[in-house]
Amino acid sequence: MLNYFMTLSVHDIGAADDFKVGRPTRVEVDGRGVVVVNTGLSFYAVRDVCPHQGARLSKGRCKGRVTANTVGAQPEIRVDDLVLQCAWHGWSFDLVTGHALTDPDRARVRTYQVHLDAGRVLLDLG
Amino acid sequence: MAQVVAGASSDVDVVEMPATSGTIDTDVHPYVNTIDDLIPHLSARWVQYIKQSGFQSPSGNQYPKGFEMAARRDAWPPSGGRPGSDPDFAREQLLDTWGMRYGVLNPLYGQEKVHNDDFSIALASALNEWQKATWLDSDERWRGSIAVPTQLPEAAADEIRRVAKDPRFVQVILLVRSEAPYGKRHYHPIFEAACDVGLPVGIHFGGWGNHPITAAGWPSYYIEDHTGMPQAFEAQVLSLVAEGVFEKFRDLRVVLIEGGFAWLPPLMWRFDKNFKGLREEVPWLRRLPSEYILEHFRMTTQPVDEPPNPEHLLQIFDMIGRDDFLMFATDYPHWDFDAPDRAFPSIVRGELRDKIMSGNAELFYDFERA
Repeated sequence: MLNYFMTLSVHDIGAADDFKVGRPTRVEVDGRGVVVVNTGLSFYAVRDVCPHQGARLSKGRCKGRVTANTVGAQPEIRVDDLVLQCAWHGWSFDLVTGHALTDPDRARVRTYQVHLDAGRVLLDLG
Repeated sequence: MAQVVAGASSDVDVVEMPATSGTIDTDVHPYVNTIDDLIPHLSARWVQYIKQSGFQSPSGNQYPKGFEMAARRDAWPPSGGRPGSDPDFAREQLLDTWGMRYGVLNPLYGQEKVHNDDFSIALASALNEWQKATWLDSDERWRGSIAVPTQLPEAAADEIRRVAKDPRFVQVILLVRSEAPYGKRHYHPIFEAACDVGLPVGIHFGGWGNHPITAAGWPSYYIEDHTGMPQAFEAQVLSLVAEGVFEKFRDLRVVLIEGGFAWLPPLMWRFDKNFKGLREEVPWLRRLPSEYILEHFRMTTQPVDEPPNPEHLLQIFDMIGRDDFLMFATDYPHWDFDAPDRAFPSIVRGELRDKIMSGNAELFYDFERA
């Protein structure tokens, strides 16, 4: 724990239990809006601004990634692989990389490291 | 100053074209004069059926064209037949006059709108045999398109596999106004067969899909019919991509014929934009819609879009983003024929012009099959 607080960029943003699983939660740190997602397995954080037209991603939804291996097949919804979908135009972002699921080379949201320590959620804005 | 040379038997003043051009016309229409032209290619069953019923030709609800048979007034052959019915006259008036290397025939007969399935299938086969005997045998520069009973995809696939054995056929031809969008699984046997025989699929202006010809209902005038045709082309592009046809048939190539091209860039922009929010509805798509379009589609040029500022045409080419995307076409013998030497403004020149006039078609079609 001490190691994290040794850098000014690391912030304690609350107890892990305060972040409901699957619900994007906005926190403001140093005047910066960040959306934090507790997937139930891990915590992720991205900048709370959609790179498309500026909506707050925290107003969006976490959804299972939708895939289909064959054309016309019933799509598979991977509930263990959540993506963050913007509330305005539906752009979806990979929580790990921040890349948009479509056109990933052009659209990306900034990601931040999140650590858990003794039940506290530590956000690294570094 | 451009030199004017005499056309073979034409009264058209043809501005001299580069010797290297060897223009390729990707949209020429051969027409049967009457059902009698097809009789030699039909079985006894259908000959008797035709005589008994008095069948003359497939009928449909069409708008009166601006010109009779939508044809150039000078395209009525001296032999007395209909425009596009005399291959010798068409050769002189088109291939020879313009020094063309190849002309791709797209027969528009209407076999798709015959409700008797077996008769529709027989008419498509007869039309293909008539193409061979009347056109392809008449000049080695003609290339054929396989007519099919589109509404019966399994039968269409059989016809594709049968006719493709003649290497003078270079594509399968469908009409853009269909009963349902072509991406639907119902039509997949056609695309499977086209891929099996290694031929592209052409989707041409027109059709008899039994629906209003605009998305807003029936308009009053032919000018609306003609100008609004891109609506149907857009629907086909959207369907073929969204339904995952190019994921299922990765070798499939499609050429949009006589639909214009200036509408394509904004369609791609809109399609890509919506895909970013609606991807999970069509999760089988692994790339942006525009990437499928640019890889799998090509377009013919006629009727050339004519912005008042010719520079804008180059901008549209740039927006499309591929200089191998457009292929020249005249639409002979129709009234809105594009002349090879004048259809494009002079600012379309050099390598780009050569590609449009011939090079792109050479890449797209396998003319050397024959």
